[in-house]
Amino acid sequence: MSYEHCIRCTICVENCPVFRVNPAFPGPKQAGPDAQRFRSDREKSADEWVLLCSQCKRCEMACPCGVEPAQIILRAQQKYGLEHPHTAAHLLFANNYYLSTLGSLTAPLANRFAATKIGKKIFQRMGIATYIPFPKFSFKTLRGTMKSRSRETRKVAFFYGCFINFYRPDIGRKIIRMLQSFKIDVVLPPQWCCGLPALGNGNLALARSFAGKNVASLSNYVDAGYDIVYTCTSCGLCLLHDYQGIMEIPGAKKIAENSYDLHEYVLKLIAETEIKPPFKEVNRTLAYHIPCHLRALEIGYPAANLMQLIPGLTCRILDDNCCGLNGSYGFKKINEVTALQLGGRVVSLIKKTGAEAIVADCGSCRMQLAGLSGMDAFDPVEILCESLGIKDKK
Amino acid sequence: MSVIEYDVIIIGAGVAGLTAGAWLSGQGLKVALVTAGEPTACLSTGCIDVCAKSDDPLQGIAHLPNDHPFHLVSSGTIRQALDDFQQIMAAMDMPYTGGLENNRRVLSAIGTFKTTCLTPVTMQASPQNGNERIHIITFAGLKDFYPGYIISRFKNASFSTYDAGVSTTMGIAANFEDDAFLEAFILWLEKQHNREDKIAVPAVLGLESAAAIIKQIEYRLERPVFEIPTIPPSMPGRRLFNGLKDHFRRKGGMIYWGWPVVGVEKTGRQIEAVMAQSQGRPNSLNARAFILATGSFVGGGLEAKRDTIVEKVFHLPVFVPGEREAWFDQDYFSMNHGIGRAGIAVDSSFRPTDCLWDNIFVCGAILAHTEALKNGCGHGFAIATGQAAAKSCLEHIQ
Repeated sequence: MSYEHCIRCTICVENCPVFRVNPAFPGPKQAGPDAQRFRSDREKSADEWVLLCSQCKRCEMACPCGVEPAQIILRAQQKYGLEHPHTAAHLLFANNYYLSTLGSLTAPLANRFAATKIGKKIFQRMGIATYIPFPKFSFKTLRGTMKSRSRETRKVAFFYGCFINFYRPDIGRKIIRMLQSFKIDVVLPPQWCCGLPALGNGNLALARSFAGKNVASLSNYVDAGYDIVYTCTSCGLCLLHDYQGIMEIPGAKKIAENSYDLHEYVLKLIAETEIKPPFKEVNRTLAYHIPCHLRALEIGYPAANLMQLIPGLTCRILDDNCCGLNGSYGFKKINEVTALQLGGRVVSLIKKTGAEAIVADCGSCRMQLAGLSGMDAFDPVEILCESLGIKDKK
Repeated sequence: MSVIEYDVIIIGAGVAGLTAGAWLSGQGLKVALVTAGEPTACLSTGCIDVCAKSDDPLQGIAHLPNDHPFHLVSSGTIRQALDDFQQIMAAMDMPYTGGLENNRRVLSAIGTFKTTCLTPVTMQASPQNGNERIHIITFAGLKDFYPGYIISRFKNASFSTYDAGVSTTMGIAANFEDDAFLEAFILWLEKQHNREDKIAVPAVLGLESAAAIIKQIEYRLERPVFEIPTIPPSMPGRRLFNGLKDHFRRKGGMIYWGWPVVGVEKTGRQIEAVMAQSQGRPNSLNARAFILATGSFVGGGLEAKRDTIVEKVFHLPVFVPGEREAWFDQDYFSMNHGIGRAGIAVDSSFRPTDCLWDNIFVCGAILAHTEALKNGCGHGFAIATGQAAAKSCLEHIQ
């Protein structure tokens, strides 16, 4: 829907986490549809505050008229990025994929350096916030450890995403083992960063180059009868929405039609092939923090449906608040206060539930919430695997 | 094809839909609610209007025209539904004052009175006539609230301005959730040495802790404090929505956000599934029964074309009040615009009349002949018909 469909009802404003805590950001209505009326391709963009939007997409989920304020702002961010020099932090985070490849290769050194005082000082100089520890690189990436086999009829091409590959390959291995236990073949297709970090840092060209490579690679697997399964909700949103939308990647529709969220896929298997995962009792009380981009995927909360099948598990859904980190957003010094305030609020609401641990699909949400609360934060798949008795074997 | 089979799917996340959903979940059914966006309840004053035609709301309902859908709900069900509502909101830390015995008045932001039935506890002390002595607090730069409107109508009103550091409704409300900010505000208030009987504040006293915040201010100032509902973004409306939504979820209901229904699967006289165009590809959800609570025009349930009015989800037959000329009165502020009567006509079990399917029920503002503005039957009507339609739906499923 065009910005002209906006009826100025301000429901998006009520839902904007940044607007709540940062007076410098005029909110999704003004930054989106209102300002759009005054934006012209022939004029240089002057409104630096567009960069304060964290692209959580809560405004889009709330709009009763189908207007997409975040999408309008995202386009304004790209234009701003094209016309203005990028800061060091923006450049680094846009190139997170290459940075992480380097980080993993030198993991023992890189991790130690990132934790030192000098390391933190250098980060701060570059405009990077250090209020929560930087995630630790894993020396052995997921790509480096898993070999694929192929005998079963149902085949999955796993789009694991940078977070699992570089920081938490153990979760990736668990996912693969779980799918294999359902008699599914899992392969790891050649893949690159989904492109979202580049997009979020105003670098559309870089994002498109990642996306083009991914589409070319994944589309071979779709043709060969594979279903694509992603687990990072932000990667998923990018594959399904942004490739076809702002990035205009040819062939993206085919990828979108054949990609599934991991938990959505497992639910589909349960419905279609009548697999019955032998869920054993897990006695835990969990607070399920819903990542903004899972909401934006518009598939409901499939992991919540799955966790309902686990006996003994109590899981409180919390979906009203953004954790504040938004991938690389909160790691930028200018957004540090926003991220801290939003995160603190989510943590206090989680603590109110009396839950013993947090569960969230998104790696960056977990990083933020575990870092700020001192509680454990799990991927839903870790809980499923605990219930199914699946362990990570290297 | 659907992954999960539900007993009931509610379409629409407004007061009617959430009430119906929570009631059915409470009966042990598996309920999902799908919604395109957030409801118009978020834009409302949060007050529960049952029927403003008379001081006694039940009597007002009795005098509504014969074709008004309120007559389909027994007074027992209306009572029960509103009692349940008050209990739900009390459990959500946002108690509601008032009862079905008589209507109340709430001071509006332009100094007029609005007739309603139940009010959030934050408006409990709202004056009942223009002679009361009130002192209004406004916030520096807050452009959605001008105390001058009220002062021009109130003989004994005065105001002072507090600088909250931010100037938006959301920003100020978020700040009030912070104890230090609240404390500073109270200290400033104490220094004002107001002699008026009551303190009025625009409705910005917190996001979800408003009841506790107002209690604390009252305790310290030793006089009643009340909120005045503002134009959107409206905090009392949002608190109402949040309370009902959290209650629905605690009862076990599942909500699908960003789910505008774009297709329907049917076999024979049954609706099988609703479909949404989610990111990438269509997604569908199966259920045994469906409740339509998408609201009227602003809520998005109805759409007016040049010469006709359509119901957007199931394309149900819509009662259209005559030719287009009859839709609108010449006087803009008239309460008699014919269009207010447009909607879905239902039988006593809240099934649409002349409908091809047996497993669909309709409630809330989308019902024909409601005329919510004229009759002053807003959220109260939604709550009552929500519960009544849910009861019919349960009977159908059993």
